[in-house]
Amino acid sequence: MKFSVNNTVKCGPRLGLLKEIEKHPNMSLETPMAMLYTRGGSIPHITNEVFKLVSHESQIIQIPLVSTYNFEDAMNDFQGDIADFVGMKECISCVTVQDPADYTQPGHHFQNCIPLWTRQGKVLINAKLYMNSIEAFKPDMYYLLSDSDTNIASSVKRTSNAVSNTISYFKECMERHEKSKVLKNSFVMGTIAGGYCFKSRKDCIDAVCSNDIVGGYLIDGLHNNGPEVELQKAEELKPIVKYVIEKLPQEKLRAIHGCWNPVTVLELVQLGIDLFDTSYCYILTERSCALTFSLDVEDKNDQYELNLRQQQYADDFQPILSGCTCLTCSKYSRGYIHHLVTVQELLGPLLLTIHNVHHYLKFFEKIRECIRNGTLSQLQEKITSQFNAYQEIITKKQTLVNVSKLKENNKDSDVSNQTPRTDNSSITEEDATEDSDAFDNDIIKETQNDTRTTVMETINKTEVKSIS
Amino acid sequence: MNNTRSPLIFNVLAECTTTKARTAQMILPHGKVDTPVFMPVGTQGTMKGLLSEQMENLGLQIILANTYHLGTKPGVEILEKAGGLHQFMNWNRALLTDSGGFQMVSLLKLAEITEEGVKFQTLNDHKSEIVLTPEHSIEIQNAIGADIIMQLDDVVKTTSPDEARITEAMYRTTRWLDRCLKAHKKPDEQNIFPIVQGTLNAELRTKSAKAHMERDVRGFAIGGLSGGESKDDFWKMVHLSTDILPKNKPRYLMGVGFAVDLVVCCALGVDMFDCVFPTRTARFGCALVMTGQLNLKQKKYKKDFSPIDEDCDCSTCKTYTRAYLHHIVTIHSTACHLLSTHNLAFQVRLMKNIQDSITNGNFPEFVIKFMSDLYPNKNYPSWIIDSLAAVNIKL
Repeated sequence: MKFSVNNTVKCGPRLGLLKEIEKHPNMSLETPMAMLYTRGGSIPHITNEVFKLVSHESQIIQIPLVSTYNFEDAMNDFQGDIADFVGMKECISCVTVQDPADYTQPGHHFQNCIPLWTRQGKVLINAKLYMNSIEAFKPDMYYLLSDSDTNIASSVKRTSNAVSNTISYFKECMERHEKSKVLKNSFVMGTIAGGYCFKSRKDCIDAVCSNDIVGGYLIDGLHNNGPEVELQKAEELKPIVKYVIEKLPQEKLRAIHGCWNPVTVLELVQLGIDLFDTSYCYILTERSCALTFSLDVEDKNDQYELNLRQQQYADDFQPILSGCTCLTCSKYSRGYIHHLVTVQELLGPLLLTIHNVHHYLKFFEKIRECIRNGTLSQLQEKITSQFNAYQEIITKKQTLVNVSKLKENNKDSDVSNQTPRTDNSSITEEDATEDSDAFDNDIIKETQNDTRTTVMETINKTEVKSIS
Repeated sequence: MNNTRSPLIFNVLAECTTTKARTAQMILPHGKVDTPVFMPVGTQGTMKGLLSEQMENLGLQIILANTYHLGTKPGVEILEKAGGLHQFMNWNRALLTDSGGFQMVSLLKLAEITEEGVKFQTLNDHKSEIVLTPEHSIEIQNAIGADIIMQLDDVVKTTSPDEARITEAMYRTTRWLDRCLKAHKKPDEQNIFPIVQGTLNAELRTKSAKAHMERDVRGFAIGGLSGGESKDDFWKMVHLSTDILPKNKPRYLMGVGFAVDLVVCCALGVDMFDCVFPTRTARFGCALVMTGQLNLKQKKYKKDFSPIDEDCDCSTCKTYTRAYLHHIVTIHSTACHLLSTHNLAFQVRLMKNIQDSITNGNFPEFVIKFMSDLYPNKNYPSWIIDSLAAVNIKL
């Protein structure tokens, strides 16, 4: 796989092309782009059959090791690579260490190992174990192991430890990569650790950027993943990201991962980042929201996103976004999706995922078009103003909720106008409660992850549990 | 809707000369249905995570939805505004709804049945008392707009020993049928099926069937079975019912969906079935195959790189290995979708094979082969031997 880029400016928006992909010689991918986020090897809620119904373009699937770690044993005996195994052979695979949509618990480092918080429990991995997995998975692309357990609050000691760990992983992993036959054609991405400390970042870059085999770099260690990343301010990131980008070799691919909101994505594109992921669509879907922000500066629509749980959509039979060409918008209504999410039916998040991923990929298409035309700033202005207006409404509502929560302290009543009460009687059928049995852990986790769900929703979910 | 044409035309295409099995085409306002047919259950206006496009790809011609659930949410008002369930859920083929009575009795505490209807306490909110009357059930079913709708029936547990109660329920079911027929607002678009009751009492079941046959209806359901009674009792009641019910109208056996039961009951002359089993078992990681089912959670599938079934051409079997499914079942929702897809494809294929064998005149041979595949040691349960012997198939 080869990466080429059009822009010679050190730090600015740029267009690139990934091509000469060994497994898919006729495929080429334009950057900036977003990889399709998966967990357990599947795009959440989307089977290969549905994927084929909705996608007609080349895609990269992002496969976090944390949710696929237990595949290794089977993969060692499997004739094929990880994309074949997860039933997505049409796609290019890219293995990452952590899951951008799940909060990564800090700490718990042990000697030369970093913890992976898998479903089966904590697994300590080092460079050797990591490369064992990579060799078993045989991905088209992968990130090298790194110590990414840093964020804006990390101490200097932590960031410098993260860097020295990452450098030693880099050396060991690259040594293995260079010897490996099965990874001969894999595109390897180095990782730059070091939190928000300029010196640590410099140390890491100096040690890592001398290798020519590395095809690109991930700017890692900016956050601990999970839904909170959505609301991290771009201003906090920009100085450190800019610093790193200026020091990175220009011709190499630059990636950042995490569920950034589109405003931050645009800021990062402006700095010259090429590769993102769709984990943002996942966290949005989990809180029953649909993206509707404008992809056209002329667009009159000013709604950034819709929360389909809201009662107002119950009898709204329009599509999520008029003019949207996704399968969800062409066949299904807001009212139907509202029904599905309030009765917790599996089709609800499926339809939302189709729309959200479609919209998010269109957003990247638009970004590339705007870079080409030199109109990126106009797009940025439009989306930023929609986003800010929406955040203001949300904050106001949440303040209201908090105030009334205080007032009705010990009462179990619904005080939120943001998440209307779901009718539990509809979930009492055995059939439905079985769903909550099978997915208990996920439901609880989702509830914890959901930064915007109110107390009421948690209560509702607990009630469902107690009924079952 | 065309008012001059009947909303249900039932054309028997072929009959088995040995057994009571037949294959037919049933023409409903929303399309044709080949019988014998298995109807999967999409309780809340959705088939467990499948898009309607996928259901069409599977070859499903009719699905079931539950009145009690839809009446609670989204409710009559929304369904009417949406123009009925077909439009609401983007499903343009046939639909059938139950009456809601079964859920009342099976799910809700303190259900009390009076001549007026089923009185129950809602579990949510304020524990208010609600009465589901035959009229109310039909009102909801009219709003949903299914091609076939069910009368509200008085359900007694099949294992109940209380003869007086069973008799009362049987007669009441017929009285409620008349109230349902009277309350029905769309007789030109929707067909009410009466339900033959009488639990395991042959005399009462005969009376029930005969009374319902006097009404102007286009098909019949056999109810009150598949509720914990012995298989010996079960098949005899099905056999008795199909002997009485007219040959020129479809017969629907409620709540039956295991492959072996489908094969036997087709031989006994049943045309339609429904059950949550294929999609429910999928959510627990079980895949249906001709020899039974695979529990993909089991360790032995961890490195099994074959599809669930080599002979199945569903999208799951074409793309995914047992090994990958083993790693994701009961963890990720995609696994539910994948196994539901396969299990429904399995049911569709089974019914298609039954239809074809009836058409080709080799249904008895099909039954014998099916049973010997399922019981390779020929240790057939006695109820299977007896029920098939009753329709001249000797295992």
